[in-house]
Amino acid sequence: MVSLGGKTMALMLFSAPFGSQYADHMCRIAERALDKGYDVEIFLYGDSVHVQMNEQRPKTFFPVGDALKGLIDRGAAVYSCEICSIARGYIKGELKDGKKDYSSTKVIEGIRFCSIYGFVEMLGRANRVLSFGGS
Amino acid sequence: MAKLVVEISHAPFGHENAYAGLFAAMGWVSAGNEVVVVLRGAGVHVVRKGQIDPLKEISLPATERQVTDVIGEGGRIVADRSSLEARGIERDMMIDGIEVLDRDAIRRVLLEDGERVLTF
Repeated sequence: MVSLGGKTMALMLFSAPFGSQYADHMCRIAERALDKGYDVEIFLYGDSVHVQMNEQRPKTFFPVGDALKGLIDRGAAVYSCEICSIARGYIKGELKDGKKDYSSTKVIEGIRFCSIYGFVEMLGRANRVLSFGGS
Repeated sequence: MAKLVVEISHAPFGHENAYAGLFAAMGWVSAGNEVVVVLRGAGVHVVRKGQIDPLKEISLPATERQVTDVIGEGGRIVADRSSLEARGIERDMMIDGIEVLDRDAIRRVLLEDGERVLTF
């Protein structure tokens, strides 16, 4: 494998799983980017936060949840929009002992949460940016 | 300064694309970076001024306020001329500070400022 010397690819997903193939394509490209030696960071924005739901059981569709877990296990950093996740009931995000409470039984293990400013920092770190969904 | 292009092709309120894109643009420009928001297709409805308070009336973010905030931070908002004409949107209906560009000029924006491009 050719190392890219710490080059980072940022991928933003904006569409929910199963209704379209954006999430599938994003996961597959992230897998190839890891194969090629990129550091991969993913931001789940808007309805795409539904890909973080655990125990998905698609019978015929691409198993997005499993793919996302596999990406995390391989070292990809997956961030989810905090306010989008609170709105859709995945986390509470309330202050608990001075820290935001992101504990949840509904979310795939390893998902991290951040605000839009965390996404901005991700974009600033990235050598490549790919955007999925939204249009 | 690092550059970002945010392309919006959905009208506000029916989908969350417009205000999600403008949130990203605002975060980027407020961190000291350059942003150009490109409005195309139905996304040009974002330019309309004099919207009711959508937060109060329909519990959705106010894109008009987001546009003025992005411009106030030094960001550019550009709208595709042919998309505006197709929808009968004229200059006096538009928020101050919106730039109207032909397609060739928008292509140049994408090529020259598109180090990073997000589509909504």
